[in-house]
Amino acid sequence: MRRRDFVRGVLAVGAAPKLLLGQQAANPAPPPPAPVPWLLGLNSKTPIPAVEAGDQVAIAELRFFSPQQIATLTRLSDVLMPPMGEKPGAVQAQTPMFLDFLIGSSPEERKQVYSEGLDWLDGEAKKKFNLEFCKLTDTQAAELLQPWLRTWMSDHPPTESHADFINIAHDDIRTATVNSKAWFVVPEVGAEPRTSEELYWSPIEPDISEFNADCNNVPPHVQAAPKSGHPMPTYPR
Amino acid sequence: MLNETYDVLIIGSGHAGGMAARILTEYGIRCIMLNAGPVADVAHDAERKPAFELPYRGFRPPGRLEHVFQSNEFNANVWVDEQEVPYTFEPNQPYNWVRVRLFGGRSLFWSRQSFRLSDYEFKAKSHDGFGEDWPISYADLAPYYSRVEGIFRVSGALDGPPQMPNGNFILDDAPWTSAMQRLIDVARPRGIPVCKQRSAQGRDGLASSVNLLLPDAEMTGKLTSIANAVVREITVDKNTGLPNGCNFVDRLSHREMTVKARVVVLAAGTLESTRLLLNSNLANSSGLVGRYLMDQIYGAGIVCSVPEARNGRSKGVMGSYAIIPRFRNIDTKSDKFLRGYAFNTTAGTGPLGARNFAAYGAELQRKMDEYYGSGFYMTIVGEVIGRYENHVRIDKTRNDAWGIPVLHVDTRYGDNEFNMARDAVDTASELAQAAGFEILSRNDKPNPPGYSIHEVGTCRMGNDPKKSVLNKFSQSHDHKNLFVVDGAQFTSAGWQNPTMTILSLSMRASEYLAGEMLRQNI
Repeated sequence: MRRRDFVRGVLAVGAAPKLLLGQQAANPAPPPPAPVPWLLGLNSKTPIPAVEAGDQVAIAELRFFSPQQIATLTRLSDVLMPPMGEKPGAVQAQTPMFLDFLIGSSPEERKQVYSEGLDWLDGEAKKKFNLEFCKLTDTQAAELLQPWLRTWMSDHPPTESHADFINIAHDDIRTATVNSKAWFVVPEVGAEPRTSEELYWSPIEPDISEFNADCNNVPPHVQAAPKSGHPMPTYPR
Repeated sequence: MLNETYDVLIIGSGHAGGMAARILTEYGIRCIMLNAGPVADVAHDAERKPAFELPYRGFRPPGRLEHVFQSNEFNANVWVDEQEVPYTFEPNQPYNWVRVRLFGGRSLFWSRQSFRLSDYEFKAKSHDGFGEDWPISYADLAPYYSRVEGIFRVSGALDGPPQMPNGNFILDDAPWTSAMQRLIDVARPRGIPVCKQRSAQGRDGLASSVNLLLPDAEMTGKLTSIANAVVREITVDKNTGLPNGCNFVDRLSHREMTVKARVVVLAAGTLESTRLLLNSNLANSSGLVGRYLMDQIYGAGIVCSVPEARNGRSKGVMGSYAIIPRFRNIDTKSDKFLRGYAFNTTAGTGPLGARNFAAYGAELQRKMDEYYGSGFYMTIVGEVIGRYENHVRIDKTRNDAWGIPVLHVDTRYGDNEFNMARDAVDTASELAQAAGFEILSRNDKPNPPGYSIHEVGTCRMGNDPKKSVLNKFSQSHDHKNLFVVDGAQFTSAGWQNPTMTILSLSMRASEYLAGEMLRQNI
């Protein structure tokens, strides 16, 4: 059993005694010891609910970029990774709002590359075309972006100012889009990139000493039914 | 059993500790092994998932594992957390300390490249005058390499020049693909050898301490292991001054406990073993514990495309792996740097990454379609020379999650390393052009020190107790019942991936220790 499940079970027992007493008053027979019988239905045959990737169906809140910056990033994403064939583009994959979340959670240095980069790009558009970047045509955007495209090797993106932002953002936009559910559900044609699918490692027995101090005072609980996939215990009925 | 004194305490369960346990228990010696992390059970702790089911779509969780470039959202939980077990360094000289504390340590995740050192490494000073010779020669270690290669089932060809000795291999006699043959044809006249890669096959796709070493040790009934045991310090017998066990803290409950043993074998991984010695004030009469930290340069190299393999014609052209062993400063002498580097060389059959093309959108996709299966990669593995000033020490101002003082890493690459990286990229470019490959991207800047996860040194072995920490049997000059059997004992780094050497040194030290214990010398 996962340790944190156990902790959760132990914490839940605090609420139980009142409930048990209430039942006792109404019914003189002693209550069955936990786990209560319905938990036995949780086994490997129990269907697992189907869920959707949240940001494909729900509206996310803008929390880091300014409205002007997200408009620039949205146009940039659309230019760098437009829909091609059956595959969605970066905008359809909700990449700009995902990057708002990712970059907004990142260290200062990465935030700076993006906010300064987006402001610079918008400034260039105004200087050159007297238009906001989000209003540029594909050709106009290409004129601004092409001079800054570089080739580079992993872990060594360009360090020169402006080229760093364009190439790092391009890489992030592509990864975020290819790894979205919107991309995944459309079958690949030819050499179109695949969504990463790897062995995901859960936290392995994380340190719970912070919780220990409290739960050490709680009397041990009858073990709950193990999670599906594990052998079922038998109980006398 | 409570209050039991074990024969040998082994700290660490990776390749070095696993090998020590296997050898010692075979001799009937009772061992207790401590590992700082939990046992990983892939059936229970891991499951295959697509990136969009994770909160960050597969990106490395921001702010975590900043110095583990190898990490992503899928594997973030297997590395040691930089907040839980921090280490410090000057802001202008970062260090990538990549650690795994699961049972089996980094032996669970290594790249499995398996090379022997040669006397160009063991007797490096005799060859070029720099640094120190090891107290052993290739002939001393060769028989152990053979046994280790047997256990790890190393595949390779008997095509090595003297600087890359051949071994006990599962023979790889597959013919070269035509792209690699073209590289061989242009490399040979330049005196650059191209050899088959050497890789540990292990069993069932895993070549780890947990499946190749520990099961045998456990079968003897002589091995007791404790998981989640974070060692605080090695304890010393007040009367004899000799190490006699350790104090550790339970990772989960923070409960303090002690084990006693007649002999202590450190195998916690180069820098953790050194940190333990420094925190315990042991084995340091030479003042060299923590000194001469080395590793290998990674990150520099080139990415090319083989024109004939484009547009879906990679069959027969691509799909070979080669190692170009060190060729500089063997018969000739470079005036720009000492020692040398190898190239990991791959004629790949998969996609070429988008970053190899200065294009976007539909044009980029056309390029990627055309170039698919034509990627040819040459990347450096370069020897970092041992310098006194590259060192680690205890940072008394900071503790880890269990109140154990952390390590301060003070190391940087110098001209030798930067010149070597530039030479590597120039040489690779010259070879690629001569072979008719198109160079797509190149980089001559090494990744930060530590990135290769080949950190070695800091408890170097040697004959002179004033100039080394360990003797030629990995035994402390100061305390006869203290051994360090991991990468910390290296006197020089070499260009070779260090795992086979760590395993062989651990095997050799353990057999020596077993003999001494049976003769009651220890």
